[in-house]
Amino acid sequence: MSRTLNVIRLQLINRQTFIWVPLIVLASAVLVSVLIYAMIPTSDPKYGGGGQAPLWVFFAVGMSAMTMTFPFSQAMSVTRREFFLGTLITAVLASAFMGVLFLIGGGIEMLTNGYGVNGYVFHLPWLWEAGPLGAFIVYFALALFFFVVGFTGATVYKRWGPVILTIASLALALILVALAFLVTRLEMWEQVWIGILDLGALGLALWGLVVVALLSVVSFLAFRRATP
Amino acid sequence: MTAVIEVQNLTKRYKDTEALAGVSLSIQPGSIYGLLGRNGAGKTTLMSILTAQNFATSGEARVFGESPYENPRVLSRMCFVRESQKYPDDATPRHAFTAARLFFANWDQALADRLIEDFQLPMKQTIKKLSRGQLSAVGVIIGLASRAEVTFFDEPYLGLDAVARQIFYDRLIEDYAEHPRTIILSSHLIDEVANLIERVIVIDKGRILLDEETDAVRDRAVTVVGDAAKVDAWSQGREVLHRDELGHVASVTVLGHLSGAERAEVAASGLDLAPVSLQQLIVRLTQKAGAEALAADTQEVR
Repeated sequence: MSRTLNVIRLQLINRQTFIWVPLIVLASAVLVSVLIYAMIPTSDPKYGGGGQAPLWVFFAVGMSAMTMTFPFSQAMSVTRREFFLGTLITAVLASAFMGVLFLIGGGIEMLTNGYGVNGYVFHLPWLWEAGPLGAFIVYFALALFFFVVGFTGATVYKRWGPVILTIASLALALILVALAFLVTRLEMWEQVWIGILDLGALGLALWGLVVVALLSVVSFLAFRRATP
Repeated sequence: MTAVIEVQNLTKRYKDTEALAGVSLSIQPGSIYGLLGRNGAGKTTLMSILTAQNFATSGEARVFGESPYENPRVLSRMCFVRESQKYPDDATPRHAFTAARLFFANWDQALADRLIEDFQLPMKQTIKKLSRGQLSAVGVIIGLASRAEVTFFDEPYLGLDAVARQIFYDRLIEDYAEHPRTIILSSHLIDEVANLIERVIVIDKGRILLDEETDAVRDRAVTVVGDAAKVDAWSQGREVLHRDELGHVASVTVLGHLSGAERAEVAASGLDLAPVSLQQLIVRLTQKAGAEALAADTQEVR
């Protein structure tokens, strides 16, 4: 167990990766968003998607955890199980950190009336429908989802090579297209949208966490026989 | 003494190559082994499987009597920094050593600090920006300062200049004398490590060609130095491994063990016996074994 905890410390030795880079990206996204909001001549509330920027960092961090940190952990004589668990816990911690930042950002936007320009990056009504805890879970789940997708993709790549990764991604995309086709054929888009709205952002996020759990199992099974 | 590493009939097949073809060996504790062979002979593959970084196609490897795969009891007592070791993105040497201190119970920070000084390693530079030699130094420092019971060095000298290489060899011997452990040093620069290693394992095309005490290997040949004409007369009819000539003086290395009487005879005839170059001997033995294997293969085909 202590070795698994040490993997968390290993992942956080260079705080740049999990904390500073996402933070800088987020701060830059907020700055750019606010500047743009300030230029839009309307008094209506303005909403933007700048808050998703650090999620892509999590995708990249997930990949590099597999491609770079895993080989190093092997030189540190860490077992694959220890590395996987420790890394996943680190990702959970870092995602929770992002969720807290999201809440703080939302709070600042409430207090300053949208940075004084009535513009919002964090406090998007749909995401906050279920209250602050709901908003936290949404952002937490998104960050974790991006990390796990990056990590799983890199694991599949390492284990079976680029061809299998491409085929798997393609298969996944085809399934989604087939579903979309089915929905269109059955003229069910209205029900789908109503369903999504009924679920709310929180409901979707909770389903997202189920997907995260499934992906983690897949990636652990692939990872068990991965070589650095 | 019980062996620390026990390998039986290990094979590793990649798509179209056989990296290991039935390797069996045992490694005793408290000794420095030289794992020698050409590039691509299977040295790194063998060490990777022993540390569970890679998987064998068939056969068995046991370390401290157990299988190393997913076994923290075994792995925590070993250290293997590979020649093409990867480090976390944006990590500096400082980060790498901080991590090593977390995972290796015997980590000696004072030794690490001294080696950092010796190798003049820039600690705040990211590892991906280091030169090849500095990258090797990071691996060497982790390997030495971790003081793991079984430590593998995978061509640790790559990119190091002559001074830095000598520092590595000196520190290795010093620290090994104070803290005896099992060291497996993979190398293709045989003569450079010849004085360090107590036992030689030669691997070629995934097969073990030689697994002997270094002194016993040296005993398999002899070098005679002296007047060229006399030397040539003496070596007549013997299997010559190597011949050098400078002016009237020649030096000839021949295969075969010399008895005490024969040695006395050489000395009496005004010739000198000189130490054998392990490298030339091993190169020759490798070629010979290769030719024999080829002949055997051809016979099988017939």
